[in-house]
Amino acid sequence: MRNAVLIAVCFILGCDARIETFLPNRVFSLSLEKTRGASAERATEDARRVVQELYGTPDDPSWPLPDNNLADLQNLVRSSGPVSSEKDGTHLGLFREHCVVCHALEGSGLGAASVFQNPYPRDFRHGVFKWKSTERGKKPTRHDIRQILVNGIPGTAMPSFALVDPEDVDALVDYVIFLSTRGEVERRVIAAAIDELDYGETSPEDGWELDSRNEGEGGEVVHEVLERVHADWAETQDHEVPVPSFSDLTGKALAASIARGKEVFHGKVANCAGCHGPSGDGSLPTLDYDDWTKEYTTRIGLTPDDDEALKPFREAGALKPRRIMPRKLQGGVFHGGGDAASLFRRITQGIAGTPMPAVEVVSEPNGKGLTVEEIWDLVRYVQHLSTSR
Amino acid sequence: MGAESNLADFHEQGSLIHRLCVLLVCLVWPLIWVGGLVTTYDAGMAVPDWPGTYGYNLFLYPYKTWLLGPFDLFIEHGHRLLGAVVGLVAICLVASAYFRERRRWVVVLTWGLLLAVISQGLLGGMRVVWSDRTLAMVHGCFGPAFFALCVAAAVVTGRRWNGYWARLGERPLSPGCVALVVAIPVLSYTQLVLGAQLRHVQPNAAPGGFAMIVATHVIVAFFLWFITMLAWLRIRRCGDLTLSRPAGLLIGLVGIQIALGVGTWVVNYGWPTILDWFPGSTGFLVRAKGFSDSIIVTSHVATGSLILAVSSMLLVRVLRSQHCLKSNVDRDVAEPTEYEYRNNTEQQVLEPATV
Repeated sequence: MRNAVLIAVCFILGCDARIETFLPNRVFSLSLEKTRGASAERATEDARRVVQELYGTPDDPSWPLPDNNLADLQNLVRSSGPVSSEKDGTHLGLFREHCVVCHALEGSGLGAASVFQNPYPRDFRHGVFKWKSTERGKKPTRHDIRQILVNGIPGTAMPSFALVDPEDVDALVDYVIFLSTRGEVERRVIAAAIDELDYGETSPEDGWELDSRNEGEGGEVVHEVLERVHADWAETQDHEVPVPSFSDLTGKALAASIARGKEVFHGKVANCAGCHGPSGDGSLPTLDYDDWTKEYTTRIGLTPDDDEALKPFREAGALKPRRIMPRKLQGGVFHGGGDAASLFRRITQGIAGTPMPAVEVVSEPNGKGLTVEEIWDLVRYVQHLSTSR
Repeated sequence: MGAESNLADFHEQGSLIHRLCVLLVCLVWPLIWVGGLVTTYDAGMAVPDWPGTYGYNLFLYPYKTWLLGPFDLFIEHGHRLLGAVVGLVAICLVASAYFRERRRWVVVLTWGLLLAVISQGLLGGMRVVWSDRTLAMVHGCFGPAFFALCVAAAVVTGRRWNGYWARLGERPLSPGCVALVVAIPVLSYTQLVLGAQLRHVQPNAAPGGFAMIVATHVIVAFFLWFITMLAWLRIRRCGDLTLSRPAGLLIGLVGIQIALGVGTWVVNYGWPTILDWFPGSTGFLVRAKGFSDSIIVTSHVATGSLILAVSSMLLVRVLRSQHCLKSNVDRDVAEPTEYEYRNNTEQQVLEPATV
């Protein structure tokens, strides 16, 4: 009887649509079509199927390499699916509870509220993260992702999860890694299907079709991609950037260091003033974009302001291109943290996915890089700037 | 003596029903607050079964486990208990109206209230049993409508309903003014529905649809504020404080609601770009599950319901006033209506010197 009433009311009012699958990465497919001059439709569809076999669905995730301890399956299950909680207060469906409205189910950064964010929410599928302790081209460590979750990003919509149960935060770290690896594998498999398996308007010959079982050419390509992406995540600890000891200076020594840092800031090697402005107020005009935007604009020969040319990409879900702005250093707000170690790494590695360049660390001043001491002077100057307005 | 006795009976009979209606109003607004907190904390599924709580009868669930357990369980079970209390009061209201209310349509109204509270309970239960966000949204939209209905019931069962309006000698309000008063609850409810769609957004919702709802929500908010100002300007000199005061109150409430709306956005998504001139906005840090933040969000929900309730009260009073005043104007000759008769009798009772 109760079920009959439930069915009747739901029939009248409507219910949640079931979420059977992750959406395919159409924007990337269109970019590939533009650069490869071949249809990516078939490859995209087959890649979606294969990736679903490997990684599961938004309600039922799986981890394709069980011997890999990157992500705990229990945590993935806790983070996926609809929001609910258990008698002891354990929360389930954590990603939908905390993240999905901005980052979307796929971690594409195309969530419902994404258009209102500046900068846009991160698209995890590129496997590129800005705020980390590792080398520029490498994945972040678990600790890096955890730090971002706990500290949040001031001045953006990215919240601090400091008040959330630490176990929930750990589970979300796993789920971010899951979405990132899943998304990157999908991208690479689509590209490999076109480049190596002759995917085009039609499927390739038998044995060359994408396969999740490591059988045939298609299967080998998929597993090569899978192992490569997972290995990149597994070896992040080996690529942490060491930070030399930093001295807390006071008085005249600090003032002298800040003065030297100011020279470095305006100097030819670092040339921070070239983007951040002579006074660090970020007021210089910029025409550059981040890598996530460049993928469907400048890198495939499209002008970001050309609405007509971008129309297919926008219809596929791409957000309107927005210029990237150099940080205003005077406000004291550093998205990736303003401590000395974070600033040191940002100067020596740049910021992945953005135009912020890296400065080479040299042992002796040679006009091509900065010594460690010069970098610390620069760090002190930037920290000094952040306290002025 | 006969008239005095009848009037005394009338007030005595009406008094209990009215008090029960007021009690309902006083219970339902906190219920909306707690329900809002349940959604803000994503605690709607903290108790996975229904109508029981973890296998217990709703009223027999161990109170220590409830009070000392997780916060999600505390507010979800508390929401259910308070809802059950509202249901019991609604049953008492129906019973008292059945035995003591002479106006048949008021009796029907009390049955409507009971039916509404049962439906609301069913919606809440189905939301849990099927873990369905859409039903949660419908449940969230139906609550304020029920609240407004309770307020309307409190107005029609009040003393003033039977004796206040007919003594006025003014002309009825203009049709344009009445239209404004009608528009306020309509727009308020539209806002509630739009807000509910933002609050219960589906995980696979597209940015375009969300942005459109946000834009509509903001535009309608300011339009509603403008309408409340217009309505107050038209009503303020009608000579009836029971109309002009709620009309003025609505301006303040909608203003507060807009401020709470901005606050709700800020604590959820940070400062919007158009407000980045606000001191501290560039370094503002959003906090997930912050208590004060959740209170801001929930108060936005509760104030929306309050606006709907006050505007519904104003509408019912205005319609009643129009009805009585038009009767006066149309008749032009004193042939007392049922209510005027009661009113006149009441005055005689209350002021014997004028007899």
